Amino acid sequence: MTHKLSRWAPPGFPLRTELQFFGSGMFLAALYSALFLHRYFIARNDLYETFGTSRVLRPDAVMPDFIVLLGGFLLGFAVLALCMAGFALYHYLYHWQGGSKSIYLMRRLPDRWELHRRCLTLPLAGAVLCGLAALLLLCLYFILYMTATPAVCLTPGQWQKVWSVIL
Amino acid sequence: MIELNHLTKRYAGKRALEDVSLTLPQGQIIGLFGENGAGKTTLMKCLLGLIPYQGTITLDGAPIDRRNIERLSFATCEHSFFPNLSAQSHREFYAAHFPRFSDKRFTGLMDFFELPLHKPLRAFSTGQKNQFEVILALCQGADYILMDEPFAGNDVFNREDFYKVLLGVLEPNETVLLSTHLIEEVAGCISRAILLRKGEIVGDLSTETLEESGQSLMDCIKEIYHYRADRVGKALGELTGEE
Repeated sequence: MTHKLSRWAPPGFPLRTELQFFGSGMFLAALYSALFLHRYFIARNDLYETFGTSRVLRPDAVMPDFIVLLGGFLLGFAVLALCMAGFALYHYLYHWQGGSKSIYLMRRLPDRWELHRRCLTLPLAGAVLCGLAALLLLCLYFILYMTATPAVCLTPGQWQKVWSVIL
Repeated sequence: MIELNHLTKRYAGKRALEDVSLTLPQGQIIGLFGENGAGKTTLMKCLLGLIPYQGTITLDGAPIDRRNIERLSFATCEHSFFPNLSAQSHREFYAAHFPRFSDKRFTGLMDFFELPLHKPLRAFSTGQKNQFEVILALCQGADYILMDEPFAGNDVFNREDFYKVLLGVLEPNETVLLSTHLIEEVAGCISRAILLRKGEIVGDLSTETLEESGQSLMDCIKEIYHYRADRVGKALGELTGEE
C-alpha cells in the first residue's frame, strides 16, 4: 500500500513510519473515545434501583443528555487532525533533508501542483479520515444511546443538542 | 536566448546582485566566475525563479515560468536529487515530469561514470553524487543547463572526465552556464567568461578574443580583479622578517 501512496508523498519519503504513526494515533483516539461507553453505562446504571436481586427503573430517572455524556471523548481525533498540519510541514521540510535540497527540483517542475500534491494530499486525507472516524463513532454512540436507554428516561431533541454543540 | 535586464537582488538590504544585464544565447558554454559571495549562485537562483528579484529575465522574450521552465536545468553542489531514491527511480521521475528527458543520454552517462542504478543516492560517494547531479541536468532535455560548482569534492580525474563528456555530448543548441572556481581547468571548455564581483559584472570575455590578444583567461581575470602577485611574498617577508 505504501508503494501506491508514495506518489502522494515527497519522493523517497519514509511513508511506512508516518502511516504507523497515523494508525497508532487513530487507534488511541478511538480507544479514548470508548471511554464514552464507560460513562454511558454508569449513567444508565444510575437509572435503576436495586431491590435484592431485581433492578427497577427509578420513577424520576432521567438520562443525562448524549452530548454531556460524550463530553470531549472525540477530541483525540481533533488532536490527530491537527497533527496533520505538522505532517504537511514535515513533508515540505523533507525536501531539505539527507544532504540534498530537492526543493530546487520540486520548485522548477513544469507541473506547478506537484509539490503541493506531495506535501498536502496525505495530511489532508488524514484529517478527513479523522473527521470521518469521529463522525462514524459519534453516530454509533448516538445509536447506542438512543436504543439502549429506556425511552421514558430520554429527554427530547438529543440530535439537535449534538449539532448545536458542534456548530 | 535568455536576457537579464537590470537584475538586482538584495538579502536583508545587503547587495547580492546589482543591475546585472546579460544575454545568454543558445549553443555556448559560458563560465561564470567570481570569488565567494560574488553572486554566482544568486544569479542562477534568479534565473530559475527560486528567489524573488528586481529586474526582468526572459527566455526567448517570455518570462521564465512553468510554461518554459523545463528548458532550464540545474546542477548544484548543494544537490537537488532525492537522497532516498535510486538512480532508476530518478530516471522514472524525470521521464514523468520532463517530456524531453533523454533516456539514451542518461543510460550512456550512467554507464560512462559506472554509477549503480538501483542503489539509493544517499549511499553514493560525494563524487558519485556530483556526477549524478550533473547527469540529471544534462539529461533533462533542457536548452540551458545551469551548473553551480558541480565538481566540489570531485578529484581531478573525475573532473577531467566530465569536461570531455560535456564537450562530447552537448548538442549545438544546448547552452551551459558553469559556475566554478576552477578557472584554469575549464578555460579550454568555455567559449565565454562572465566575471562577477560583489554582485556586479566586471567582465564579459569571449575566449576567441582572448586567444587573438594572446592573453590567457587566468591572466585576464587576474588583471580585472587587480590581483597583486607580490602580495604573498610581502606577507611572508613581514612574517618571517626576511627581505
